[in-house]
Amino acid sequence: MITKLAPFFRSSVFKKQLVAITGLILVGFIIVHLAGNFIIFLGPDAFNHYSATLHAVPELLWIARVILIVAAIVHIYFTIVLTIENRKSGGAGRYAVKTTHGETNFAKKFMILTGLLLFFFLFLHLADFTLGEKTVEQTTLKGVDLGLYGLVWNSFLNPFRVVVYLAAVWCVGMHLSHGIQSMFQSIGFYHNRYTPQIRSASLVLGAVIAAGFSLIPVVIIVRHLMGGPTV
Amino acid sequence: MSRKINLTLKVWRQKNASSSGRFETYEAKGIDTDASFLEMLDVVNEQLEKRGVEPIAFDHDCREGICGMCGAVVNGMAHGPEKETTLCQLHMRKFKDGDTITIEPWRANGFPIVRDLVCDRSAFDRIISAGGFIGVRTGQAPEAHSVPVGKDKADWAMDAAECIGCGACVAACPNASAMLFVSAKVTHLNVLPQGQPEKNKRVLGMVSQMDAEGFGNCSNHYECEAACPKGISVKNIAKMNRDYLAAAIKA
Repeated sequence: MITKLAPFFRSSVFKKQLVAITGLILVGFIIVHLAGNFIIFLGPDAFNHYSATLHAVPELLWIARVILIVAAIVHIYFTIVLTIENRKSGGAGRYAVKTTHGETNFAKKFMILTGLLLFFFLFLHLADFTLGEKTVEQTTLKGVDLGLYGLVWNSFLNPFRVVVYLAAVWCVGMHLSHGIQSMFQSIGFYHNRYTPQIRSASLVLGAVIAAGFSLIPVVIIVRHLMGGPTV
Repeated sequence: MSRKINLTLKVWRQKNASSSGRFETYEAKGIDTDASFLEMLDVVNEQLEKRGVEPIAFDHDCREGICGMCGAVVNGMAHGPEKETTLCQLHMRKFKDGDTITIEPWRANGFPIVRDLVCDRSAFDRIISAGGFIGVRTGQAPEAHSVPVGKDKADWAMDAAECIGCGACVAACPNASAMLFVSAKVTHLNVLPQGQPEKNKRVLGMVSQMDAEGFGNCSNHYECEAACPKGISVKNIAKMNRDYLAAAIKA
C-alpha cells in the first residue's frame, strides 16, 4: 500500500493537490474565524458567550484543532518542497530583461513569503489571545473584568500590535486572492463560464477577508477615542 | 510601406552546453520592417560572417508558425511581445528605429542550451514517448462516423492539438514548468473516445516523465497561456490535474 502510494507523493501534480485540499480546510477556518470574531461587535456578553461555547466541549475543540494543525503542516511542508523544486528548475528571474506576459502578479509571486509570514504571525497571535493565563489587568476595561473581550480591546490599543496584525491580515488577503482560485485549478475544476468568475471572486474574497479582519482593531480604536465601551 | 530601421541587438552567445555564455552587442543596420524576426537574424548573421564573426545559432524550420522549431526570449518575453505569434511570424515593423532588443534562449533546466539561442528540447519527445500516443494497430483510416465524437469534445481536442511543442510555456513559466505542454498532449487524447482505454496510464506516465526531466511545478501563474503562440488554455492543465487525481485514486 505504502510503496504503491509513494510515487504519488513525489508527483508534482499530486503535491499541488495536497496543498489545494489542505488550503481549502484552512480557508474554511479563516472564514469561520472571521464570522466568529465579528460577534465582538455585539458587545462583551455575546463575545464571551461565543468563546465559552467554543470551549464547552473540549473534545470537539481538540478534534478541530488537530485537523487544522495537520492541514497546516501538510500545506506548509508541501509548499516548501514545491518551492525548493521550482527554484532548482532554472525558474524565476533567469532572464536579463525582467518582464512578464501580463498574467502573474505580486500576490502570485510571493505566495511562499506571505505564507511563511503568516506561519510566524500565527505564534504571536496564539500567544496574544489563546495560550497562557492572562492577568486581570489585561482583561479589565474601566474597572470591569470583561474576559476575552477586554483582552482583545486592550491588546488593540497597542499600536505595535495593531500594525503587525494589519500587516498579517493583508498577507492573508493577498495569499487567498491567488490561493482560492488556484485551489480549483489544482483539483481540476475548470469551467468556461464559471472559472473567470471564480478568479474574480478569489480576488474580491481575499480583499473582503483582509478588510473584515482589519475592521476589528479599527472599530476598537475609533470607539476607544470616542470614550470606550459602555460597560 | 516598408522602411529601413537600425537596431542594437544584445544576443546571448554560448559556445556549447558546458561553456558559460555571455551577452554580445551587435548593430543591426538597415533592417527592412517587412522582415520577420528570423530574417532579421539572417541579415545580421550575413553581416557577422563578413566580419569573420561566428554567426548566431538559432533553431528554425517552417518559418510559417506551425512547426514549433523557432523561439527565443525577446525583451524578456517568449516569442516576443506579440500575442499568439511565433518568433518567425513576429515582424520587424513591431519595433522602432533605434530600439535595443535583448535576445535570449529558452532557459530551463529541462532544456539545456546547445549553442547560443538553441536549446535541447528532447525532454518533450521523451514525455510523448511516455504515453502521448494511442497504442492501436495502424491501418487504413476508419470510416469517419464509426466512432461518434461530440462537437464539444472534437473542438476541445483540436484546440489542445494545436500545441506545436515549441516550449514557450516552459520559457515563460516562473517555475520553468512544462504543465501546459504536457496537459495539451494528455488532453487532446484524453477527451476523445479513442483515448479512453489508455487514459489513466497516459496521464500517470507523462506526468512522471515530466517530473523526471527536471521541470518545475505549476503554481498557477498562467504566464504560459499568455505566452503560448497557439493560445493553448490552462483549462487543459485543470483537465490533466483532474485526470491525474482520478487515475491516482484508481491506482
